[in-house]
Amino acid sequence: MAFMRKQAVVEAADLETLTPEETEKRITAGVKKYATHEANYAQADANTPYLGHIVGMGIESSNLADITMSIERQFLTKMTTKAPVAPGSADFKLTAGELGKLRILDGQDALAATPGLSVKMLMDLGHMPRNEAYLQNVMSFAYVMAVGDGWKMADALRKMTAKAEKLAGPERAEALANLRTLAAQAKDYDLVLADPAKLAAAKQKTFANDKAACDALNNELSVALDKIKGLSAGGDAAALAKLRTEEAEIRTRLKMSAAKLRVSQEVAEAAGRRRPVEDAKVDSVRKAMQEAVVQALKLS
Amino acid sequence: MALTPEDLAALRRQWRLSRAVAVPLSLFVAATARLRFWYRLPGDIGRIRAEIWEKLDRHDGPVIWAANHLTLIDSFLVYWAVFPMSRVLEDRRLPWSTPEYTNYYKLGGPLKSAFIRALLYACRCIPFLRGGEDAQSEAWRQKAFDKCVWILREGGSVFVYPEAGRSRSGWLEAKRPKDFLGKLALEVPSAKFLCVYLRAEGQLAATVRPPDGDRFRMVCDLIDGALPGETNPRQISRRLFDRLAELQLEWWKGSALSRNCGGNDVVDLKAPLLREHFTDDLADADCEWLERHLTAKELASLRARRPEDFFRAFWSFFCAKEAAHKALARAGLVVPHAAFREIEVDLFRRKAAHVSSGLQLDLRFTDEDQDKLHCVCVLRGGFIGDSESEGDVLWKVAEVPPGVSAGSFARELALDFVAESNDEIGRASALALSEEGGLPTVLWRGEPRDWSLSLSHSGRFAACSFMIS
Repeated sequence: MAFMRKQAVVEAADLETLTPEETEKRITAGVKKYATHEANYAQADANTPYLGHIVGMGIESSNLADITMSIERQFLTKMTTKAPVAPGSADFKLTAGELGKLRILDGQDALAATPGLSVKMLMDLGHMPRNEAYLQNVMSFAYVMAVGDGWKMADALRKMTAKAEKLAGPERAEALANLRTLAAQAKDYDLVLADPAKLAAAKQKTFANDKAACDALNNELSVALDKIKGLSAGGDAAALAKLRTEEAEIRTRLKMSAAKLRVSQEVAEAAGRRRPVEDAKVDSVRKAMQEAVVQALKLS
Repeated sequence: MALTPEDLAALRRQWRLSRAVAVPLSLFVAATARLRFWYRLPGDIGRIRAEIWEKLDRHDGPVIWAANHLTLIDSFLVYWAVFPMSRVLEDRRLPWSTPEYTNYYKLGGPLKSAFIRALLYACRCIPFLRGGEDAQSEAWRQKAFDKCVWILREGGSVFVYPEAGRSRSGWLEAKRPKDFLGKLALEVPSAKFLCVYLRAEGQLAATVRPPDGDRFRMVCDLIDGALPGETNPRQISRRLFDRLAELQLEWWKGSALSRNCGGNDVVDLKAPLLREHFTDDLADADCEWLERHLTAKELASLRARRPEDFFRAFWSFFCAKEAAHKALARAGLVVPHAAFREIEVDLFRRKAAHVSSGLQLDLRFTDEDQDKLHCVCVLRGGFIGDSESEGDVLWKVAEVPPGVSAGSFARELALDFVAESNDEIGRASALALSEEGGLPTVLWRGEPRDWSLSLSHSGRFAACSFMIS
């Protein structure tokens, strides 16, 4: 059955022949139709998030897979040969082979939140040569998220200040109580953003949660293996088959959990290493937050 | 089925032996918890123990221990937390347990298995078989029940998990009581329930054991078993579950984690971009695109649908996954963007499972019509509701007026809706929305509220939900 993908036909280009900037341009152009915030999209650069309406392109979560598939359609790569990740494993990775269609495997796009990070993903996976000069201007995923949270906070505070200004009497008093809390939250977050170590510590919590989940699954797996060992002597084939299925399920869960752990580990590490490109973005969101706090406190 | 003289002789033998080794075993349990897993009891454990033992001392009859269940070593942990060493010689109070046979009695090679069996025997365990509907399994269950009744009639204590298994959502759901403990109480009217809610601070889901080094908090109470006039096991179990649910709420009041974890999502079925990967008749879609969103099980379920339901069913899966994603984020479990297959949805059972943690969430589709889908999801904190009960989630779906930003409209909709749902709040101007960790939170009287507000918009529609538990 043929599917009519309702998009303009683009000729796929060999990633090795493109500069990172050209690749980024193509990636950005490829998601145009999903972007619901036209103004942000028009000014989009390597560090503009695909998601979100304040500084992002406004792409909706229902189109998240389309971003990856749009990238796949536009490029060709030599990393096309499937090779098992371990001897006997059903899971595979892509290694060098004939030039062919780009494939981004499950989970490989977990950190590709901006066009620049999508280019970085292609470099990390070996589809195109690594270009440090380009990468030094690409914000890490950790900072894309941290700065995005800051913009949301500043926006909420500004809106609340504007709303409270129009109120009077007891309604105004109620609104001001909330406004003071919002301002305090923004100030706290400003302090977190000011110090990479604090931000890293905050991200470390997610990593610790993911690590605990991974450890818990390892325990679960060893219990399942113990049950199999205990039952093997008894020869109850049906029960053994059930346990083998349970073991396979736990291994799948463990694989997912390990992939997630890698993401949170990378985020926690990246949060502690701030580069000039991130400094600039952090400075601008901190300024916006501080201005919003000043306005809020003036009113309250 | 009555117990045979041999059964009774065996029980008496086990009772005598366990009495003889109670002190070294209690020391072993406490030492393992503290020194092997570095677990810590709450700072005020002395006060908690004193209060509960005062109640136990006033009750001369048998006791049925009933606790929440999240790990495979809960019986040891609850015993360690409740029982001070000074009481270990109070033989009647040492509880008998009912571990699931398949989980504990065939673990590892011959040596390990023999050690575990011996330990369980000395710890007064009566193996229980939960699975199996055949006559043999039924007989096994009945015999285990009869043994529990006999022990209670002898004035002893029995430890049974009222939920009959580890909670897959990490939450004890009072609206779904099981009858086993009610039946037990009816058989032994002089018995009281020792209700215990014990949980490690970092325990999110059902696991083999709590995270190493974690601190526990415990709330407990002693309540009546069968009250005069109570003849229905469900009635007794419901009362027990209600008390455990109250203890659960008390536990969560002291937790830094969000208790209420819910989410919602709306899908505008007429949004043009939603049809992009489907055939013109919407009866099929691009396989590669489907596989990026659905697990193998979900895909098989989708393929089994009638062609005219295909499009709607796909977006139902999607809508449920997005709602579950928000509920999980509230619990601190971040599902990476586009990792759609990390959440597996069963539309028939109305359940979503977080694949890596094994957590199960409840789903409910509301306000469905030809134009839209709306799904609410609850991980913990309250009941999602069903045909008999309203539940603890409130939601609203509305059309976004032309020219208005859908995101802003969703926020205003939420504040108006929360305000109109509570007489005390009265007006939306008393509320504000904060963004903490990327999650919307309602502020009222300057305080962030644990209401698990969730916002969503898609095409022409915006929606919000929050929890009132």
